[in-house]
Amino acid sequence: MLDTLTLVETPEGIALRLRAAGAMPRAAAWAIDMVIRGALLWGVATVIAVLGRTGVGFYLLILFVIFWLYPVLFEVLRDGQTPGKKIMRLRVINANGTPVTWISSIVRNLLRTVDMLPFGYAFGLVASLIDPSSRRLGDMVAGTLVVHVEPPEQPSAAPLAPIVQAPIALPPAARAAIVEFAERAATLTPERQQELAALLPMLTQAGGALAVQRLHGMAGAMLGRS
Amino acid sequence: MKQQTFQSRHAQEWAAFERWLTLRGRPRTRDRMLDGDDVFSDVEFPAAYRRICQQLALAERRGYSALLVHRLQDLAHRGHLILYRPKAPRARAVVDFFAAGFPRLVRSQWRVMLIAALLFFAPLIGVIVLLQWRPELVHSLFDPAQLANFENMYDPASSAEKLGRESGTDMAMFGYYIFNNVSIGFRTFASGLLAGVGSIFVLIMNGVIIGGVAGHLTAIGYGDPFWRFVAGHSAPELLAIVISGGAGLQIGMALIAPGRRTRGRALVEAGSIGARLVLGVFAMLVLAAFVEAYWSSIGWMPASVKFSVGGLFWLMILLWLWRGGRGRVDVE
Repeated sequence: MLDTLTLVETPEGIALRLRAAGAMPRAAAWAIDMVIRGALLWGVATVIAVLGRTGVGFYLLILFVIFWLYPVLFEVLRDGQTPGKKIMRLRVINANGTPVTWISSIVRNLLRTVDMLPFGYAFGLVASLIDPSSRRLGDMVAGTLVVHVEPPEQPSAAPLAPIVQAPIALPPAARAAIVEFAERAATLTPERQQELAALLPMLTQAGGALAVQRLHGMAGAMLGRS
Repeated sequence: MKQQTFQSRHAQEWAAFERWLTLRGRPRTRDRMLDGDDVFSDVEFPAAYRRICQQLALAERRGYSALLVHRLQDLAHRGHLILYRPKAPRARAVVDFFAAGFPRLVRSQWRVMLIAALLFFAPLIGVIVLLQWRPELVHSLFDPAQLANFENMYDPASSAEKLGRESGTDMAMFGYYIFNNVSIGFRTFASGLLAGVGSIFVLIMNGVIIGGVAGHLTAIGYGDPFWRFVAGHSAPELLAIVISGGAGLQIGMALIAPGRRTRGRALVEAGSIGARLVLGVFAMLVLAAFVEAYWSSIGWMPASVKFSVGGLFWLMILLWLWRGGRGRVDVE
């Protein structure tokens, strides 16, 4: 229940990892969008003021576009991201992992009307607190999700160390953990590395920096270095 | 195969894929770089994407390190987003939708449309008739300031030039009608999610108010400018309200009585139907706003012309909703 990660199987036979975004980052994205929309409208108003009465008509047309169409156009044409969502690293997608479509974006944005009731997105907030993937009512009807866009991780190479064969045969998960330990070495302080390596005295049969070095050596062997 | 060999064998391929994603995968066409020397062409992308998916599956199966798996997942996910990006609507599909798809959709939802029409037209006509019988009842609907405003707008003595407004150019009123009426249409649909109560309320409320204005102005003898004004745009506007109310009601029905589907599934299906109905409502209301701003307001036009044009609109729109898309095979 607490984990917001959902795995969605695609026709390609791979699992997409979708991490649903909670109410707070979404509210922040909405606030950023409101500022942008307000600024746009203000800019339009100052330009159109020269047109006089006819300008009122254009102003109302643009108000309509900014009010109703802004989120739909951005979500569909910009890979599920309004400017606010882009800054907050969020993305709207269909529940099956595919990019949000016209119809589902229209539904989720029209139904904001209901999520806003009775004031300040109260219905939407309650719905997103109850729902396991924190969807508001509009998301439920549209079949969409707001997910975090995870920044790509650049794998760092495991540090070079004299090759050591593990004294016992290890299960795949343990092998992956040792390789990952080596690959993450650049992000850990030497002290922390030694602390972690000290958890495996039977495997390393050493302590301190030597234990770390032996683990790196085992990782090298598992990676297939010679 | 050990991870190191796997990585070094495919490193170039992954780098090329990532390069394509950053240079050619942008949502905006003009942000995309032209084909360079070291970027493969767009037609090779699906195959490259499938290879990434296969390598990801292999990496997971063979228990390679989480960092490598994450990198491949990231590449696959970004590729997936681009491969399944929604297509821009084609002109042909849009024409087909309005000519055939939309009327057919309205007819397929005839039950809620009938209920919405009753909820809207019954109070509308009822109030008009009632106000001819007991004109003083109008004071329980509107306060004196509002009544004075309506009377001012349709005063036969003063409104020689422009009907149905106090001031404002055609363009200003067009913008106003778009913002106001389309917003009402959208909200009528959306509030249907509250178990249909919102849509029912908006339908009855609008029926009573429109009926009240029409009945009152007719009763005090201002009927001629009023009916001349509304005749033209009444058909698209009133029918659009009914359809958006019906679209809201069917969402409410999906919530109350989902039938043999889960409630979530029923809501998603109703939402998709509702959004397509709202697209048609939007088009009808834009037409109504255009007619209302540029045609209905013309003051000198004799009643006979106004009424025949209004009648023609009713006939054509009802005919479109009744016959549109019949006897055609669905292309989709």
